[in-house]
Amino acid sequence: MLQDKLLIWRLRRGRVDALRQIYDKYKAYLLKLAITLTGDACHAEDVVQDVFLKLAESYDRISVHGNLRNFLITCLVNRIRTLRRDGRRHQAAQFDGSAIERSHDSPPEHWAVVNEQMQRISEAMAKLPVEQREVVTLRFEAGLGFRQIASLQNASINTVQGRYRYGMDKLRSLLNGEVEK
Amino acid sequence: MKSADEIKRLFNSAAVQTNAAPDDAVFETLKTAYARTVEHKSAQRELSMWRSVMKSPSAKLAAAAVVVIACLIGLSLWRTTGSGIALADVLARMEQVKAYRSTTSAQWSEKVTGEDPNNPYNFKARLTGLKSKEYGRKVTSEELDPNGGWSKTGESYYLLPKRTLISISLKQKKYRRTEFDDRWADGWGGDGPLEWTKRMLEYKYESLGRSTIDGIEVEGFRTTDPNYGIPINRGESKIQGDWKIWVDVKTRLPVRCDYTCVLFYQMENKKKYEHIVVHDFQWDVPVAAADFEPVIPDDYTGIVIRFPAHITEETTIQGLKVWAELLGKYPENIPIEADFADVGDTVLRLAEKSETPAAMRLKEEMKGLTDEQIKNKLVDFLMPIRGLDLFYMRLQWYKKDRAYYGKIATPKDADKVLLRWKVSDKEYRVIFGDLHGETVSAEKLAELEKALPK
Repeated sequence: MLQDKLLIWRLRRGRVDALRQIYDKYKAYLLKLAITLTGDACHAEDVVQDVFLKLAESYDRISVHGNLRNFLITCLVNRIRTLRRDGRRHQAAQFDGSAIERSHDSPPEHWAVVNEQMQRISEAMAKLPVEQREVVTLRFEAGLGFRQIASLQNASINTVQGRYRYGMDKLRSLLNGEVEK
Repeated sequence: MKSADEIKRLFNSAAVQTNAAPDDAVFETLKTAYARTVEHKSAQRELSMWRSVMKSPSAKLAAAAVVVIACLIGLSLWRTTGSGIALADVLARMEQVKAYRSTTSAQWSEKVTGEDPNNPYNFKARLTGLKSKEYGRKVTSEELDPNGGWSKTGESYYLLPKRTLISISLKQKKYRRTEFDDRWADGWGGDGPLEWTKRMLEYKYESLGRSTIDGIEVEGFRTTDPNYGIPINRGESKIQGDWKIWVDVKTRLPVRCDYTCVLFYQMENKKKYEHIVVHDFQWDVPVAAADFEPVIPDDYTGIVIRFPAHITEETTIQGLKVWAELLGKYPENIPIEADFADVGDTVLRLAEKSETPAAMRLKEEMKGLTDEQIKNKLVDFLMPIRGLDLFYMRLQWYKKDRAYYGKIATPKDADKVLLRWKVSDKEYRVIFGDLHGETVSAEKLAELEKALPK
């Protein structure tokens, strides 16, 4: 945590090496989170790149006393939600000039490489309703409390706990065979 | 129905790695966006401060007084330091240059900690370079001859448009031709005054004021930022350096670049000293394609080296697999290759004694082939093994706390660590003897390594 505060402090002073360290520290973690939330590695790569871009472009909005990890998680969740909400518009953008330009910019090789377990989890999670998937991921992967998740989802703690319970039940039945392996 | 703990365990064992090439590409995009934002925000900040000040009449008066005092101080500084060249202008000027010549005088050492730091160098070399935007880079290397003067030891041609690097060793009468993929091209551009200046702009630097070098009026820039040395880090635990660039005040082009560096190797309790001076610059010299065509004498033997287009965990496992299938065990150490001793010769020598089906097959295929044909055949065969060396080197560059246990783990060992590196603060990626990979906690890794026979 102290290291993160130091990184934010250096980032706010325009230090590229701090950006590199944050990037190295969180890229795999955010990719894992994004793949679990979206169930799609390519989509997840775009989202994580957007999150880091947001960090690079609005680094002065993070307080030295803030929590860098939670800031990145919140950006990630919000970005996925925005893309989901604007699904149609986003799809249409694939055919305009900006999307073509972007596809030139994006690396041809896959950024993220997932192992077998990750593949299984993302497939199972993709079968959960979005809200349940979010709660289970944020609880399991991000280690957030129900209160924090409730605030992120703009829902009551009871609702979030209910989503978690239903999500876990479904996940258990989906992974029943897998976990035994 | 399984418990939450079991699902949690499955979540924990799920892992995501990143491929190095796109990884670097993504970071480059971020770096550009960040630099742009930093520049924009600092300009905005200056403007908004000025606006706030000018709102109040008393502040206006105070500001005027500050400006007058600052001007007086500035004028006196201007006279004494002569500061006036922007480093960014130097970079912009260098980027306009199509070709230049330079000489690099280098001295370095490898000394155990505690030896005389005042006289640390025991090796001297001189490199004469010609760099062209169009053709690439040519470097002639010389060593100090014990009989006096300099003797030529080799030539290197970094032919970027041809994606080829040719190194010729005069001493050994050998040459090697390395063919690389497009995405490797950036990393082979070399480290020169342009790259030094670019990096200096990213870190904290200071003006050294004006001076005279070889009758030319110059202005100096200097950084001692430890992060400046990161790109040249070859796995040292720490770099302590002093980098300077001296620029001609008239042409805005470097006259001399130098650095003195102490490289610490914590694991081996060693440190190295390096002192490099780049001088005798000739900017905007005319060049022709012929300047970049290597002449290799007929009696020289050569090898062709090709690396996988992408160096990943998978290519590394493939490299280990090829080696183990051929020789029945893993290489004892990585890197396998050293200097001009080619890994192909090592593989062939070891395969000669091996009785594995893969070795027998290779020997059968080699029967009746000339040396040249054998070398050509081995180019693709050896590719994953060469990738293995590079992957391991890259782990060192990025300080991934790597370790390799080729002397201990065998292809049958599903529970012995063969290779490991750090993937996050708390986790390590482990390739086991049977070549399956797992991401484990630091505690688990400590247990696994403790169980390895000493």
